[in-house]
Amino acid sequence: MMKKFLFSFKKNPELYIGLIISAFMVLLIVLGVMFSPYDPDAMDASAKFADPSINHIMGCDNFGRDLFTRLSTGGATTLLVAFFTVLIGVTFGIIVGALTGYYGGAVDEIMMRFNDAVLAFPSILLALVFISVFGSGTWKVIVSLGIVFVPSFARIVRGEFKRCKNLDYVRSARLMGASDIRIMFVHILPNTIPVLLSSTVIGFNNAVLAEASMSFLGIGVQPPQSSLGRMLSDAQAFLFSEPSYAVITGVTIALIVLGFSLLGDGLKKNA
Amino acid sequence: MLEVTDLHIEIEDSIIPETVVYDFDITVSPGEIVGIVGESGSGKSMSALAIAGLLSRKDMKKKGSIMFEGEELLTAPRSHLRSIQGDDIAVVFQEPMTSLNPVKTIGYQVEEALRIHSDLPDEEIKKRALDMLRDVELDDVESIYEKYPHELSGGMRQRVMIAAALICNPKLLIADEPTTALDVTIQAQIIELLKKINRQMGTAILFISHDLSVIRSLCSRVLVMNKGRIVESGLVDEVFDHPKEEYTKHLIEAIPKFKKIAKPSQDPDRKPILEVKNVSARYKKVSGFFVPGTKQKLVVKDASFTMYDGEIMGLVGESGSGKTTLGKTILGMLDDTDGRIIHYSEMPQMVFQDPYGSLNPTRTVGWILEEPLRIKGGYTAKERRERAKSMLSLVGLDETYLKRRPKALSGGQRQRVCIALALMLGPKLIIADEPVSALDVTVQEQVINLLIKLNRELGIAILFISHDLKVVYELCSRVIVMKDGRIVEQGTDEEIYNDPKDPYTKQLLSSAGYLK
Amino acid sequence: MKTVLKKIATFVITVLLVTLFVFIAFELIPGDAATYRLGINATPESLERLREELGLTRPFFVRYFSWLGDFFFGDMGTSISYGVSVRSMLASKLPITLTLTLMSFVLVVALSIPIGVITSKYEDRPLSKAVDVLGQLTMSIPPFFLGILITYLFGMILHMFTPGGFVSYDVNFIRFMGYLFFPAVAIALPKAAMSTKLLKTSILSERKLDYVRTAYSRGNSTMDVLYKHVLKNALIPVITFLGMTLADIVAGSLVIEQVFSIPGYGRLLISSISNRDYPVVQAIIAIIAMIVIFINLLVDIMYQVLDPRMRGN
Repeated sequence: MMKKFLFSFKKNPELYIGLIISAFMVLLIVLGVMFSPYDPDAMDASAKFADPSINHIMGCDNFGRDLFTRLSTGGATTLLVAFFTVLIGVTFGIIVGALTGYYGGAVDEIMMRFNDAVLAFPSILLALVFISVFGSGTWKVIVSLGIVFVPSFARIVRGEFKRCKNLDYVRSARLMGASDIRIMFVHILPNTIPVLLSSTVIGFNNAVLAEASMSFLGIGVQPPQSSLGRMLSDAQAFLFSEPSYAVITGVTIALIVLGFSLLGDGLKKNA
Repeated sequence: MLEVTDLHIEIEDSIIPETVVYDFDITVSPGEIVGIVGESGSGKSMSALAIAGLLSRKDMKKKGSIMFEGEELLTAPRSHLRSIQGDDIAVVFQEPMTSLNPVKTIGYQVEEALRIHSDLPDEEIKKRALDMLRDVELDDVESIYEKYPHELSGGMRQRVMIAAALICNPKLLIADEPTTALDVTIQAQIIELLKKINRQMGTAILFISHDLSVIRSLCSRVLVMNKGRIVESGLVDEVFDHPKEEYTKHLIEAIPKFKKIAKPSQDPDRKPILEVKNVSARYKKVSGFFVPGTKQKLVVKDASFTMYDGEIMGLVGESGSGKTTLGKTILGMLDDTDGRIIHYSEMPQMVFQDPYGSLNPTRTVGWILEEPLRIKGGYTAKERRERAKSMLSLVGLDETYLKRRPKALSGGQRQRVCIALALMLGPKLIIADEPVSALDVTVQEQVINLLIKLNRELGIAILFISHDLKVVYELCSRVIVMKDGRIVEQGTDEEIYNDPKDPYTKQLLSSAGYLK
Repeated sequence: MKTVLKKIATFVITVLLVTLFVFIAFELIPGDAATYRLGINATPESLERLREELGLTRPFFVRYFSWLGDFFFGDMGTSISYGVSVRSMLASKLPITLTLTLMSFVLVVALSIPIGVITSKYEDRPLSKAVDVLGQLTMSIPPFFLGILITYLFGMILHMFTPGGFVSYDVNFIRFMGYLFFPAVAIALPKAAMSTKLLKTSILSERKLDYVRTAYSRGNSTMDVLYKHVLKNALIPVITFLGMTLADIVAGSLVIEQVFSIPGYGRLLISSISNRDYPVVQAIIAIIAMIVIFINLLVDIMYQVLDPRMRGN
């Protein structure tokens, strides 16, 4: 058992290290949100930039708010935004990708031209378009980023469906009289899961980065909702006097990204 | 010239070290053609690569001795090996597509060895390359010189590979399954070319193949390998006519030898099961959103034939002849077809060529087998399972296979599952598209025997699509020959094989060594 | 020739779709130019009159094409916040964003190709593994955080530049380049790490292919096999990645300008979004999208030069 684990670890260290880091970060965030005795928004002038201690394990920010609690809630916001973004992206991506990949033809061509046009925008820029149209706020960020993520998932699913639809097992299912819907979702879809899984994790990661960038720019999640990007932008003002505030916040984002990107790479290798 | 003694090759994986070649001995004299024959995994290619100095993976251990022209190659440093590679020893590989660099011109690749091993001026090198391309019987060599590999056909690419290997006039040419990826008529041409080179240039050839008949037509001596060991060696005629070892006998018996298995006499009142009348099929190539109009390629042209209940009919032709497309057209798998197809039976089924692609990799064998019944509806879970079990046992697999996934099966087992799948709905007609060509010879024979059993015992008619004339002769009572989308000839096996009318049929039969 | 025409046709269609998309997006925003000019207290009659004057009552596609035509001839409207023409605002900032983007891209290429080739050559050495781990860490650092770290280390501790300072290109070009260097590093490092990894994996997987064995069988040295055979094939996927990266760099510069207080398109875009200065937002987004589409066209052409299989059909 141990030997087998070590063997697979050696073959795919990314997967396991990524799993450990991301699980650790998620656990830390959940613990902080559920068990921290502090209100993330409660200010305490006497604790301004307090050093780490038993009471404040990571110290406090410029308003004397407990940093660990704020990082947890901010991290939770970031993870939830990323989760719903990817959910929207994957759901519509599968539908669009399956239909265009399986049927091909003119609809496929038009959808792909449209896809190309959307992909021509860097994802943050496109989200900015939506934000400037819809206005900012958590749900608007989710919807904006979600729409932005649909084309890239659609493209991946389409590619897989295009590849699979000409394989003999699909031909043979058709020959048995299976309906198109059954072929698409019972026969082909399970075969796309390995590829889809790794790109979902990679997409999740991109969503974390995009949310953090937007909040950093001040056009994403709005206060009082805490978010890691916004905290980093606040911390930048105190960079000279209190560099640890920025470093702790930045490292939190970096660790989340590192964990999920290793996980994504590992899954890709396994696919 | 070449003398290999006691060659051992061991692969050291991080888990289990595995010896892949044991006690390998071979001698090749100047101008000789020696064959190594064996099934996949027998270690024949490994041994050849070791001789060519191309096994340099760090996880590989080699012992023994490889003497070439009085020099030890096995322990020689890379720099010394390099001076011999391409100059005295040259190699031709199996896959002419992947063995040529896709982004370099043909000219560059043919000249390369000469550039490395000589100081000739550029014009002289080019002149020699063009001459060499002519020597391997390519036409219009100036334009081929400028082309890229993907612009040439498989046969042309293999000629280019040979030209590139021979450019320095090597003493030894190692040819690793050089004809396996090619059509029969092309195969025959390449073999002729190798014979000519051997005669004219005196190049010794070490020819590796799984195909015993090719070895027999080309080589003077042969080594038979199995599981990393040489089991038998000697003069070709002696080994093939009087094999001493069990394995060799087995291998030779497995070759279809234009020997008839007794076929049932044809019933005069037999009923038709399938009628194909003036069928044509096109592949539509939608040429993009902005360029209107569609290119059409006519793949089957005006095909007509009738199949009768319980018979096995052969459909032969080379790749690109339209035989597979005709099979698909019959099953209604193409959209753009003309003509009439009349089925006198319900639910004809298909067995595909590649047993790796025709089973859904994410499902279990049980799920796959039950799927047609699930789609058809009206069966309980128990009935479905029972049916799957009985079909599995019919193809010679027990019920433990129900829970396995395709990945855990060998090629032969997969093809059995594919056949069981085709049988689930109890069809009276099965179209089998090259069902054995991806399998090793001994496994081929088992699958052929299974098809014969289904035909004899269950009376299932089989349309057997194949490029292999020997298998078709062994199996089929009537034969259709296709070329470039047309049926050029059809008749009983005796008519086609003993008295072919069409010139193409004659050419095909003589390439396969049937007509003298 | 036919493929070039097809590429150009695709390019034109994509430009039309993208601009149409930008146009529609800003049409959806409640309130039009007339309401902005006259404010909320305007009478319906005066609004109607101004709409007529501004051509807002014309059919949708007429408005779209007239907007597109104006856009291409440099008339991008007037900024709501500043009351000056959008064109003049953008023209002076273009060299800043363009230089930053190009500098970052050059850094990505200059770092990743040599490092990718060298680490693939010494695949099993500890140093190469260390580079892998370092690369993986670099990839995970968000560029804006990297920017903050660089500001702290090189600006505040080592005093190699003044954090928050900037010198425009028309004042002192050398110092301008100096101020853009660190932002460019912040954008480039994560991308360079990705590109290095991709090139390395690509070289390693190409090395397993049959044609490499053929090249060895002709007596090529390991170096010749790498440079004459493997590298050109291995670069093909890297080129695609670099093309996509250039688009990402443009987006990345929007964020990094904020970190380093560089007055380029990014800062202008963010402040315009906050001020609801829609003509400016619309123009910047359309320009950036067009730059990205143009880059894609160049990458496509590069592809055909590198890979003969892409030519012809």
